[in-house]
Amino acid sequence: MAEFLTEKRQNGLLQISLQNDWVFANLNGLQAALDAVDLGNVTHVELSCSGIKQFDLAGAWVLYEKSLDLEEIEIRTDFKGFQEAHFKFLQHIIDIAARKEYVPGFFDPKPNRWLVNGIRKLGSNTIDAVDSVGFIARSVLDGIKRPSRLVIGEIIRQIHATGTTAIPIVMVVCFLMGVVLAYQSARQLEQFGANIFMVDLVANSIFRELGVLLAAIMVAGRSGSAFAAALGTMKLTEEIDALRVLGLNPNEILIIPRVVGLMIALPLLTVFANIAGLIGGAFIGAIVLDINWFSFTERLATSIDVNDVLVGLSKAPVFAFLIAVTGTLRGMQVSGSAEELGRLTTVAVVQSIFLIIVADSIFTVVYSRIGF
Amino acid sequence: MTTEFEHVIRIRGLVNRFGTQVVHDQLNLDVRRDEILGLVGGSGAGKSVLLQSMLGLHGPNEGTIEVLGQTIRHHEPGPHKQWGVLFQDGALLSGLTVQENVELPIALHSNIPVETRRELAVLKIFMVGLDLKAASKYPNELSGGMRKRASLARALALEPKVLFLDEPTAGLDPISATEFDQLISYLHANLDLTIVMITHDVDTLFGICDRVAVLVNKGVIVDTLEEIVKHPDPWIQEYFGDPRAVRARKAAIAKVTI
Repeated sequence: MAEFLTEKRQNGLLQISLQNDWVFANLNGLQAALDAVDLGNVTHVELSCSGIKQFDLAGAWVLYEKSLDLEEIEIRTDFKGFQEAHFKFLQHIIDIAARKEYVPGFFDPKPNRWLVNGIRKLGSNTIDAVDSVGFIARSVLDGIKRPSRLVIGEIIRQIHATGTTAIPIVMVVCFLMGVVLAYQSARQLEQFGANIFMVDLVANSIFRELGVLLAAIMVAGRSGSAFAAALGTMKLTEEIDALRVLGLNPNEILIIPRVVGLMIALPLLTVFANIAGLIGGAFIGAIVLDINWFSFTERLATSIDVNDVLVGLSKAPVFAFLIAVTGTLRGMQVSGSAEELGRLTTVAVVQSIFLIIVADSIFTVVYSRIGF
Repeated sequence: MTTEFEHVIRIRGLVNRFGTQVVHDQLNLDVRRDEILGLVGGSGAGKSVLLQSMLGLHGPNEGTIEVLGQTIRHHEPGPHKQWGVLFQDGALLSGLTVQENVELPIALHSNIPVETRRELAVLKIFMVGLDLKAASKYPNELSGGMRKRASLARALALEPKVLFLDEPTAGLDPISATEFDQLISYLHANLDLTIVMITHDVDTLFGICDRVAVLVNKGVIVDTLEEIVKHPDPWIQEYFGDPRAVRARKAAIAKVTI
């Protein structure tokens, strides 16, 4: 580590010769070096600047701040041996600081809104571009190898945005689907006096298929479009270019959180969807078909096992991956106009729902072949 | 970092093609230390593509570009600690306040404590002539001129050696535009900055640029203002023969002689 200063003491006079590069890149070292100076018995400090090789605003600012600190404890500070260019910097700093009204803590957010604001800001902070699906896969792998705090925070925000806020609508839809299933099956089963088998029908279809399918379709409509629109807008306003120039990997902070966040959120949503569907079925059973809550749950225990639940849940991460990748990819393809943005948002939703249904049929065939 | 380059930017044999349309053909350009270079050219002459190539945002078909001695490659980080870019509409991150926008590059590229970082950001914000009230606002709450200033503060956050400006005065009223020109030449005088700017504003061109690079015939003609107005190329003659350009030139000459 380079030496930034040397000290010389004469009674109350402390002469500090500054040397090497007083620039932004060394800022921490500079501050540490100045802080390490022992000020015992010192009444007058002389800063000799002729040894400075490179100097910039940050370096000048450190010196200026130090001189202010010293002034506060009544130590006189003089600057000696400035090259003209260096002096201009310092003068500049002093000019600006003369108008200084900034006090530490000015920008600190209000405590009660800290969490909401912080998460929201962190969220809109994540911006940038994807060139291909291959890029996404690589970025996900990179992210797993060395997760950064920025990305983890954003994953949490995505889980909230795509999962938590979708709970009410998903539950309402699945409740109604449970009602419909119960009604339709009851009409057929009544002919055989086999009302109670309505429970098997509702539970099996909800757990194995409809819970996860409806949750995924709702999420594709809500979040798939949101991903495409958000990224597309960022693309249009050059925000993604800005991030690139700042040296950030767009894929890492933009794609990973959405993909990973949704892959965590959708299985959790599916659980809520399943519960709502069962309640819907039980509700109709109780008020229309004379199957009370007790016999419903009793029948449920015999008609369903853990495998049925797992079949449904195992599809959720795959669906989530399809939705997130389609949404982000389409968003990144936006260029030129706001119309393009609208078109690609539509494409993102339609394609993700299509892919969900294709994937679901593959699952069904494969699972029935292996008897899962 | 201490290495000295005679030319901050060196472009050799640059070729940019879009389909069959050739935008740049064997373009060479050198940008000298501490100069303000104005980049002009008709619509579609490839000003923006040239800028994007220099920033590594666009991959040229052929040719090499060096900025501060580092070869620029598409999709690879350039010398982003040593350059600052002012995009045309500011390109401030819309989810962050001005102060956070300015702090972001500092936070990403150094381990400076939060409070120091914040004070440095405030310094930059003051330097471009904004106040604390503007600093705590979001970009969409600011006027065009303030957005440009804020974006300039972000571009200056890491004490860059090269500053790229994309139409810094476009969309500003004449008073704001003049103020912005003054701000840029003030910063140029006080910080060791090399500035490359795309501009359509003849006042800016005559007011603060040391040299002008004109994009014509898929190449570039670079010279000082006095020389370039004498160049026989028809587009250059038309551009600098335009009444607005003539007025701006007269005004600039008048300013010098006073």
